Amino acid sequence: MGNRQEDHMLLTGMWVEKYRPSKLSEIVNQTEIISSLESLIKDPTDMPHLMFSGSAGVGKTTTALCISRQILGEYSRDYTLELNASDERGIGMVREKVKKFSRYAGMVDVPFKIIILDEADEMTSDAQTALRRIIEDTAKYCRFILIANNISKIIAPIQSRCATFKFTTIPEEEMINHLETIAKKEKVKADKNGLKAIYDYSEGDLRHAINLMQATASIGEISEVNVKISAGLTKTSDVDDILKMALSGKIIESREKMIELIKVYGMSESDFLKYLNSAVFKINHEKISSILQVIAKYDYRILVGANPEIQLSSLLAELGKLEK
Amino acid sequence: MWSEKYRPQNISDMIGNEESRSLIIEWLTKWKKGTKPILLVGPPGIGKTTIAYLIAKQFQYDLIGLNASDVRSKSQINEILLPVLGNVSVMGIPMIFIDEVDGIHGRGDFGGAEALIEILKEPTIPIILAANSDISDKMKNIKKVVKTIFFKPIPPRLLKIHLENIMVKENATLSLGSMIKVIEKSKGDIRSMINLTQSFVTGFDPPVEKSFENINVEDGINAFFKANSIDEARSVLYSIQIDPKSKIDAFYSSILTSNLDNITLAKFLEIISEADMLYGKIMKTQNWRLLRYLNEILIKLYKNDQRMRYSQYSISWPLLNRIRWDGKKIKSVSSIMAKNLHLSSSKFITICFPYMMFCIKNNKLQLDSDDIFYDIFQKEIELIK
Ligand SMILES: Nc1ncnc2c1ncn2[C@@H]1O[C@H](COP(=O)(O)OP(=O)(O)OP(=O)(O)O)[C@@H](O)[C@H]1O
Ligand SMILES: Nc1ncnc2c1ncn2[C@@H]1O[C@H](COP(=O)(O)OP(=O)(O)OP(=O)(O)O)[C@@H](O)[C@H]1O
Ligand SMILES: [Mg+2]
Ligand SMILES: [Mg+2]
Repeated sequence: MGNRQEDHMLLTGMWVEKYRPSKLSEIVNQTEIISSLESLIKDPTDMPHLMFSGSAGVGKTTTALCISRQILGEYSRDYTLELNASDERGIGMVREKVKKFSRYAGMVDVPFKIIILDEADEMTSDAQTALRRIIEDTAKYCRFILIANNISKIIAPIQSRCATFKFTTIPEEEMINHLETIAKKEKVKADKNGLKAIYDYSEGDLRHAINLMQATASIGEISEVNVKISAGLTKTSDVDDILKMALSGKIIESREKMIELIKVYGMSESDFLKYLNSAVFKINHEKISSILQVIAKYDYRILVGANPEIQLSSLLAELGKLEK
Repeated sequence: MWSEKYRPQNISDMIGNEESRSLIIEWLTKWKKGTKPILLVGPPGIGKTTIAYLIAKQFQYDLIGLNASDVRSKSQINEILLPVLGNVSVMGIPMIFIDEVDGIHGRGDFGGAEALIEILKEPTIPIILAANSDISDKMKNIKKVVKTIFFKPIPPRLLKIHLENIMVKENATLSLGSMIKVIEKSKGDIRSMINLTQSFVTGFDPPVEKSFENINVEDGINAFFKANSIDEARSVLYSIQIDPKSKIDAFYSSILTSNLDNITLAKFLEIISEADMLYGKIMKTQNWRLLRYLNEILIKLYKNDQRMRYSQYSISWPLLNRIRWDGKKIKSVSSIMAKNLHLSSSKFITICFPYMMFCIKNNKLQLDSDDIFYDIFQKEIELIK
């Protein structure tokens, strides 16, 4: 019986997965990091815990998966635990899974098990404190690879237990080269202006770029016109709309849309705030700094444990009051 | 607990759903290897679990009971059930009862339901399932391999007789008015009726006239904004005695639905935000002493305002429905897909999902009509501008 969860047919058609590097040497751009990592894993028993930081879609998770594959070889599936802190509610789940995993008996031919904890910066500081203990308790048999977009949200004691690598965004030339290679393999025509447009929309996020290119290919060749048609599909443009609506005083409408994103689609509140922040920089508004202050105020309130829906509603209402 | 104390001891002591009860008895009397399992479907508190235990007792089977939390994964199901299915002679005559099967759905682990279906297809012993609802896609698959028997809410006439019997046994009394109220409120759910009665009888006599000491939310919120002075408003506020979270929510939803101007709306929501922060702090520190400041924050909302009206919901019905139905499905889609794409559900839904739907719309990714997500994908594709 085929396991649906493992190989949902839509996923095999997704180019981001199809072209995810499977070896460190295939990773685009991060050359210094890669060569340093390659020498670190030559003698794995000495390998420290690792921490990868950097913006979205630049190869952090991919690098972690490659390391696991290169160290653990054919056993990598069984001996790697992948967790995403923004999906696992609270430290309890993490602790339980880690505990169970680290107990799992009988290691053959592998130096240790690997735990990849993605989006670790989404954990509260309490949870991070608890994690510190977990890292210690399991150190004998496990190595952690922590991944964070924003390393400043990781508490110092955890940072100090890891070797840290900062990933940079993919520069224009390298991204376009990579996109061209994929386009060739998929037999889609791509012109320079089209690829440049993808780069501009993606802001150095290769995952976004590849997705956008695939969407564009579904209507024709990769030209500037076609890219423009496909761009703007993502839900970040809904966040842009929400900001505009709120600022023009349509509070109730913008609030319904915000709730739709969060409650129907499952966008996390912290992602919503992150996209809202970048939306502010896309508009031309004379009160930019007041807007950012309002956002910061409610971001803080949510952080200290208030109810996100109530706080975000109040945020939008306060933005609606700003203009005039 | 009266609802346990009065759990029927014999099938014939049960009330309501006579036909469904005799169908079950008939099923077990005629049962032989290969007879389809049965699925009992109906709202809470009307005897599904009860009859499963009673019929096992009456026909001298050993009931192996499981519920949704036991049967989430394929390996758990096989570990628990396969020995039972294979080893009939050792343990007497076993019968399997899986309660709350609808709970297996939507937890992102589909192996469990599939493994269960395999077992249901070739039953070597009697199997009974129970569920509150049979409309999810997962339940539809289960329904293909079982015989479904429906349980309906109990009619008021039977509820009343049952209630009177209990009152006699308890040597308690309840005014006719309260009795009617209890029956109406329970909406055919026996367990809920019994629980409600017990709370009434043990002290909380339902208020005959509206005392000012404890008024319901709706009247309270409306009275608050109609009060003629801040003192009157304050005494109304203190007499709305519900838990702090519900109190904040009631003001919150009423404010959002009362068509206020933007300035007032922003001001009011800021007050709610402040109240909510206090509540968050109380929950975090468990410092309930701070609760006394809640009403003093909320009183800042006072303003004699004819526009204000109580509302339970703060969002429109269409959105509420979308959250309830589409939201659930999207969540299960994204939890599976996000794992396979190695990113969080939130990121998946924001960036990848829309592009994916666009490719499907343009027939460049194939969608199989058997797919469990077919319906929701179709709907999302139509939403693309
Ligand atoms: N440096 C890279 N080289 C080659 N492909 C890359 C690189 N970075 C990203 N990609 C492509 O983007 C996809 C996502 O990359 P990855 O999961 O590693 O991102 P990430 O840095 O972990 O991002 P996030 O912070 O959003 O989780 C990969 O499947 C791959 O197709
Ligand atoms: N038909 C009935 N006759 C008498 N009492 C009943 C009947 N149905 C339910 N009750 C009362 O309600 C209680 C709960 O019943 P039971 O556990 O069978 O509900 P259920 O239908 O399985 O509900 P759920 O769907 O919530 O699991 C029993 O202990 C009993 O007090
Ligand atoms: Mg990642
Ligand atoms: Mg039950």
